Amino acid sequence: MFPIVAHNELAPKVHRMSVKAPLVAQKCKPGQFVILIIDEEGERVPFTVSGWDAETGTVDFVYIEVGKTTNQLGTLKAGDHLAHFVGPLGKPSEVDHYGHVAAVASGYGVAAIVPILKGLKEKENRITTVLQAPDRERCFGQSELERVSDRLILAIGAIGENMSTSATQPVRKLLANLAQSPVDRVILMGSLCLMRVISEMTRPYDIKTMVHLTPLMVDGTGMCGACRLSVKGTNKFACVHGPEFDGHEVDGWEVLMARRCSYADESIFQQGFQCRGCSQW
Amino acid sequence: MSEEKGPTSAHGTAGGKKSKLNLNRLEMPKQTPEERKRNFEEVATGYTFEMAIEEAGRCIQCKKRNCRQGCPVNIDIPDFIKHLQGGDVEGASRVLKRKTSLPGICGRVCPQEMQCEKTCILNKKGAPIAIGRLERYIADWERQEGATTIPEIAPSTGKHVAVVGTGPSGLTVAADLALLGHQVTMFEALHVAGGVLMYGIPEFRLPKEIVQREVRYVKSLGVEILLDTVIGINYSLDELLNTKYHAVYLATGAGLPMFLRVPGENLNMIYSANEFLTRTNLMKAYLYPKYATPIKMGKRVAVIGGGNVAMDSARCAIRLGAQEVYVIYRRTRSEMPARLEEVENAEEEGIRFHFLCNPTSFISDGRSNVAAMELIRMELGEPDASGRRRPVSITGSEYIMEVDTVVVSLGTSPNPLIASTTPDLKTSKWGTVIVNEQGKTSKARVWAGGDIVSGGATVISAMGEGRIAAMAMHQHLAE
Ligand SMILES: Cc1cc2nc3c(=O)[nH]c(=O)nc-3n(C[C@H](O)[C@H](O)[C@H](O)COP(=O)(O)OP(=O)(O)OC[C@H]3O[C@@H](n4cnc5c(N)ncnc54)[C@H](O)[C@@H]3O)c2cc1C
Ligand SMILES: Cc1cc2nc3c(=O)[nH]c(=O)nc-3n(C[C@H](O)[C@H](O)[C@H](O)COP(=O)(O)OP(=O)(O)OC[C@H]3O[C@@H](n4cnc5c(N)ncnc54)[C@H](O)[C@@H]3O)c2cc1C
Ligand code: SF4
Ligand code: SF4
Ligand code: FES
Repeated sequence: MFPIVAHNELAPKVHRMSVKAPLVAQKCKPGQFVILIIDEEGERVPFTVSGWDAETGTVDFVYIEVGKTTNQLGTLKAGDHLAHFVGPLGKPSEVDHYGHVAAVASGYGVAAIVPILKGLKEKENRITTVLQAPDRERCFGQSELERVSDRLILAIGAIGENMSTSATQPVRKLLANLAQSPVDRVILMGSLCLMRVISEMTRPYDIKTMVHLTPLMVDGTGMCGACRLSVKGTNKFACVHGPEFDGHEVDGWEVLMARRCSYADESIFQQGFQCRGCSQW
Repeated sequence: MSEEKGPTSAHGTAGGKKSKLNLNRLEMPKQTPEERKRNFEEVATGYTFEMAIEEAGRCIQCKKRNCRQGCPVNIDIPDFIKHLQGGDVEGASRVLKRKTSLPGICGRVCPQEMQCEKTCILNKKGAPIAIGRLERYIADWERQEGATTIPEIAPSTGKHVAVVGTGPSGLTVAADLALLGHQVTMFEALHVAGGVLMYGIPEFRLPKEIVQREVRYVKSLGVEILLDTVIGINYSLDELLNTKYHAVYLATGAGLPMFLRVPGENLNMIYSANEFLTRTNLMKAYLYPKYATPIKMGKRVAVIGGGNVAMDSARCAIRLGAQEVYVIYRRTRSEMPARLEEVENAEEEGIRFHFLCNPTSFISDGRSNVAAMELIRMELGEPDASGRRRPVSITGSEYIMEVDTVVVSLGTSPNPLIASTTPDLKTSKWGTVIVNEQGKTSKARVWAGGDIVSGGATVISAMGEGRIAAMAMHQHLAE
């Protein structure tokens, strides 16, 4: 059993949970994920680590309530226990000295990208980050991102206050300004659609663009093949070869999106949700 | 219907005239196909005491003991049957336990028709003793009686052993070494112990309670089982060897699914058998929403492959509510690697077999879900290395079949996680770990067995290899 040591709401339906799991905390690297099961009847669900402390043996992640398991997580309190917690799974993100890195984060990516940016900062990269959120109320994690970025651009749904509505706008500006301020690498952690669109935007400039893909997973250790996707024409498993991939090499985004939504109608609790063949975040 | 000279053809007293042999091989009572298609309860309900005695009574206790040679762990078959003939189930159980710690499992899932029952002398008359069913009876009897006798455990040797993987091979090694006085810790990546017995083989063929009972038994011997712990991630193999463990047994199985590599194979609603079976069996999707994991099932399901895994997938699909289930196999019925009994069960349950055809591509419904597949007809050519006739495609014979769900069941290979994090562990080009006859790997103090070595075999062979390696490990630890 894995005790929950802290549980806070960051924004409506967005929570940070901190779990005591020393074995996981000891080995965590930026960009990796854990799989947890709430109780013996529970589903195995993956979450990207947003922080860890090897000394206290705790691991944090930020989650959004979207369905059965995440809603149930929302009802748990510090002191409650999770039945299972395994990780760190997946390959760590590539972290090296690149120069100027542009990062885009939305949804839980706002928190989960922080360890990666910290790693990039330690390697003395200059970091420009774009934070996308649907509105002010649902915007969280701003100060943390500020701390690990040289510059933070907000892309928040409500127009005004000098803010753009979608992360694509500031990214377009960055790309228009490449002559003055070259971008050496782009790193994306957000909804599938956003990552796909921005990958296409950077392709003509040949800027290496890393995406964090989250197809449905079951075991998370390379055994079931649920998370398979085509990368440069060959099959990769997101749980062992990813979740970070070169966005320009990913083929078959449509399938990825369709697969993700295949359970939406069964288990989703969101009222009026309709799968439109694309991700909801 | 069976193509082999099965029990039915030898029925009656016809053979009785020539000899006193009783060729009336006793069937096990089963749920009717109509009933069992709608539930996940065990298909065969097992012998009663009277039936077990009657079937045991047919054994002529031959001197040559051919049957014993057919069993990969050389169970003293005539001896346990003799106890049964005298009504002494407990005595029979003791004989069984000398060679197998998992009789309730082997009795259910061993391919007996290829092993002990094949070499039974009565097989010449087409009616071998139902050895597997008798083993199952004995194990179930013991379970109902409650008390499992725990054999005496040797005094502690103070040596620590790590066993990686909790499938049948790992469980066997853990039990054997614990009985010899070693302190055993097992590591399991999943949240449940049992390996394929839990995540692959369905409840209706092997009730999970029986597997968990064996796991509890192994624990009762003092074995510690650490779930949710992945070797290669949480600890590397070298970390195990450099800490308190004097020896390591690798039994991580062959869990990496293979795919056809044809266009469209990643479309939505195309599952690997591993995902399909794991959702269904390990995560209990058939009890959704009591269990939180769903499984999405269409109406027309194609299962690609001809092995046990394909049979299990097809039979799960029918139980999950599919209207039509097709098994697509590129050779013919007689080349199918699946157990005959399971093929017959599948046929009775209405699963339709399409032989001599193979998918060449999958076709989308326009929204990235599979809507159909293109197949090509095959014919059998020259025998290949395995001795089976090689299937060759017939040019221009392509045709389309409408399906909305596909389960790809082509087999598996070892997960590369441990090999890739242990450079000095020798593996073959198929990714299997290379060992000597004792199960010793190229790496000091490391043994291996089961599917990670064979690439995929049977429960009983995984156990047998474990048994041999356990003895070798014990010798090493005693030095
Ligand atoms: C590697 C990886 C890392 C992830 N990291 C995080 C994270 O840090 N924080 C976070 O909030 N979520 C993360 N997710 C997504 C998270 O796993 C899902 O939100 C969760 O499984 C939904 O479970 P549920 O039972 O609440 O929802 P369900 O009732 O099962 O589904 C609700 C909706 O969520 C979608 N969904 C279900 N499973 C996934 C999935 N695996 N990935 C994406 N969407 C899914 C469904 O299609 C559906 O639309 C990650 C997923 C992966 C694969
Ligand atoms: C669907 C299906 C049906 C079958 N039907 C039959 C049948 O009817 N009769 C028969 O005799 N055989 C059958 N088999 C084959 C049989 O189940 C296997 O040969 C046998 O289970 C192999 O045992 P094992 O101990 O080597 O490995 P497994 O049973 O595969 O167990 C390996 C265990 O190791 C764990 N593991 C893997 N990697 C790691 C790691 N890095 N760290 C920690 N743990 C890890 C896995 O999670 C798993 O629990 C079937 C197989 C399948 C898939
Ligand atoms: S273990 Fe399997 S092969 Fe051996 S006697 Fe029992 S059923 Fe037959
Ligand atoms: S070969 Fe058959 S008949 Fe002879 S002892 Fe073995 S089980 Fe009995
Ligand atoms: S989640 Fe099963 S292989 Fe990746």
